[in-house]
Amino acid sequence: MEARHDPAIVAGILAALETALDRAMALAPDAQQDLQELAGTVLAIEFTQPAAECYVAIGSDGALSLSQHCELPVATRVRGQLQDFIRLASSDDPAATLINSDLEVVGNTAPLLAVQAIVANLDPDWEAPLVDALGDVAGHQVAQGLRGFFKWGRGAAESLRRQLSEFILEEGRLSPPKAELDHFFKEIDALGLKVDRLQSRIKKFAKDLEAGKS
Amino acid sequence: MFSPDPKRALGYNERPFVSGDTAMTNSPSTDDKATETTDFGFQRVAKDEKADLVRGVFDSVASQYDLMNDLMSGGIHRLWKRFTIELSAVRPGQTVLDLAGGTGDLTRQFSRLVGRDGQVILGDINAAMLQVGRDRLADTGTVGNVSVMQCDAQYLPFADNSIDCITIAFGLRNVTDKALALRSMERVLRPGGRLLVLEFSKPTSPLLERAYDLYSFRILPMMGKLVANDEDSYRYLAESIRKHPDQDTLLGMLEEAGFVDCEYHNMTGGIVALHKGIKA
Repeated sequence: MEARHDPAIVAGILAALETALDRAMALAPDAQQDLQELAGTVLAIEFTQPAAECYVAIGSDGALSLSQHCELPVATRVRGQLQDFIRLASSDDPAATLINSDLEVVGNTAPLLAVQAIVANLDPDWEAPLVDALGDVAGHQVAQGLRGFFKWGRGAAESLRRQLSEFILEEGRLSPPKAELDHFFKEIDALGLKVDRLQSRIKKFAKDLEAGKS
Repeated sequence: MFSPDPKRALGYNERPFVSGDTAMTNSPSTDDKATETTDFGFQRVAKDEKADLVRGVFDSVASQYDLMNDLMSGGIHRLWKRFTIELSAVRPGQTVLDLAGGTGDLTRQFSRLVGRDGQVILGDINAAMLQVGRDRLADTGTVGNVSVMQCDAQYLPFADNSIDCITIAFGLRNVTDKALALRSMERVLRPGGRLLVLEFSKPTSPLLERAYDLYSFRILPMMGKLVANDEDSYRYLAESIRKHPDQDTLLGMLEEAGFVDCEYHNMTGGIVALHKGIKA
């Protein structure tokens, strides 16, 4: 991000992210332990759009520190668009995502995949701070309530997505179904092929005609 | 705009025996060699008076220094310092001098970075500020690799080529002879060592400059009066910022002092700039 953005703004964004990660890590001791095995590793992340660069360094205590400037040797440098990084971060199969995406990787991919797996599988114990703040009984009840709410929220979102898709495709006929689209594209391909063949034949006839005249 | 730094800087100017020094005459800033006067905000004062005046300012604001810094900058001074730490690229085992270190916020970060094998020296010319800094370091458990030293940036009491990194955050503008201080820093740095000067500078946008002027000369002294009951000190702060060399001038001063690969990064629209120089 050097010279491309105001360093103070970038520092603010990175500081906020780092604080959020720190807090999440503090509630997930397993993840921190896993990260300790990668202590000293530095990953460079370079966004092409928007243009920005940041470094992720793993400390000896497993803490992740984010910075816009780093002069330590970088184990892995990944370059790509923001959406590619988001896809990689949320991927169930990061290796496959990395291979099939437009991300450009320089260096050793193992630390990158290891960090991605740790962060993706982060399972913070959110109940702990609630219990600390509200006490054992109330904290547990609130945590249960929140868990139920988030579970319902996930289910509701999934249901809404499915029903919306059905409405658009089946009820409203606002968009053609995928199979119909595939068939349409295949027909276009076939037509394109036929046109190419016809064009070749015409060229051949024209050539023969030319030869006959002479 | 922010008082925290002036505190640190104060320390430097405070040095009572600095004022008559002939060495000060090589300052490329506004020091007047013929009459031996220098800037104190928008006023011209005798060089030997400036240190005492600056000390007065910092003694006055010391007790509310950190609070005022946060209030006046909206906490942004922490981000400026964070970037300074990043650009320092300090590694375990190195020796760092945090000049005009005041309450020791940079020293705390450096202490963590240099580890047990490294050393951080919190230096300031102002005894009151150092006292606050030392107490704060002890309160936060920052001990073992940190030492505290009352010293003048113009005459650093260190051997040649003995320091890996020097930072001076919001302190240089209060030094009576900036060129002399920069040369002193260049002397004690190891070859390849770096100097980082974090200081208020000139906003890059005219619109921002107008808003900044309004803030500095109207709101800042009012805040100083309300929170620290000290309007004059904060007016001095605003004035001293305006008298400080702009980005390119300071860059030239670093090069003149012998630093190479000099560069600067504007932050928050140029309100603050971080200059970096490497000792050849």
